[in-house]
Amino acid sequence: MKKSIVIVGGHKKAIILAKSILRKGYEVIVINESYEDCLSLYEIPGISVVQGDGTKPYVLEDANIRNVDIAIALTPNDEDNLMICQLCKTQFSVKKTVAVVSDPKKIEFFYAMGIDRAVCTISTVTSIIEQQAFITDITNIIPIQGGNIQIVEVCIDGYSPAVDKQLWEIDLPSEVIIGCILRGDEALVPRGNSRISMGDTLVLIAGQQQEIPAIKALAGR
Amino acid sequence: MQLKPQKKKSSSFTIIIGCGKLGASIADKISDSGGDVLILDKDKDAFRRLSPHYGGMSVVGDALDLDKLKEIGMQKAATLLVVTNDDNTNNMVAQLAVHLFSVKRVIARVVDRDKEGIFNSKGIQTFCPVSLSQERIGQLLSADDPVVDQIVDTEGEDNR
Repeated sequence: MKKSIVIVGGHKKAIILAKSILRKGYEVIVINESYEDCLSLYEIPGISVVQGDGTKPYVLEDANIRNVDIAIALTPNDEDNLMICQLCKTQFSVKKTVAVVSDPKKIEFFYAMGIDRAVCTISTVTSIIEQQAFITDITNIIPIQGGNIQIVEVCIDGYSPAVDKQLWEIDLPSEVIIGCILRGDEALVPRGNSRISMGDTLVLIAGQQQEIPAIKALAGR
Repeated sequence: MQLKPQKKKSSSFTIIIGCGKLGASIADKISDSGGDVLILDKDKDAFRRLSPHYGGMSVVGDALDLDKLKEIGMQKAATLLVVTNDDNTNNMVAQLAVHLFSVKRVIARVVDRDKEGIFNSKGIQTFCPVSLSQERIGQLLSADDPVVDQIVDTEGEDNR
């Protein structure tokens, strides 16, 4: 059976998310209060659209969401998202609930109140902007384990302090290892005596917020 | 914020969220009987509803702001009454009070009866204006019954 997802609230986010989830082969139901948003959602082929306030039990009933696999609450108000998720969970037996939370201080509270996943868009977006603004040499930072561990790509140019050095000569924080050296189309497994060349891309695995000092030691910025 | 020396121990401290007609009248009542009470509303004009003799505290602020709740001493409240005009706000404030501030007695107004279960499942006591009105109307109607019966009876007799 196809897995089903209900998305409640959210303007542009709802549209982009609905399209993306639809492409992954899920059945998508969207509940939205705004008539204009419903019209643009209605143009996406294959999704069911219900207009109404998703914090009202009868609207959820109309949308026929009983036993849906995942409910995602995207409204801009934390209190509404909490109500949506709690109704979905307790009155409609939705298996997994996901809430967007604006106030980062309430994340733990949402988990304690039985919401399966709480996503804080503000802190996620600001941390990405910060990365992009300050660290131009990094092509990618992938946080795993809730950000405890970072996988980082670092490009080495002619001015990098690490260029033409062997790995053992570089003073890296002990929480950081170089997992891979990308040179042209090749991926080299690094050893202590591997020499870094201009144009290499290093893939780091860093713990405990040590990625910035490691990037400084390697790329100089 | 108006401060007045506390008349009683903080063990009877009551916080009211939402200074509408109901919130204001309950605050007045507690204050009149010498209780320790604080009322919070995000609109400063709402406090006009309090009587001129109100002796408790009134604070302007957003009840969904955790720092505000700490500032007004939510952790010291023995009773919290949540009566804003939005059910979802009432739900969240009440749950914050129970979970983060361990307030013993939390009472909330729920306009939409279908949502009462959510509140109750988290240990929040609720009342619903529609249910209360219904009850009262039922009482009034049943109290009138004998009269109605009499009229019917008389009519019946007349017809005979």
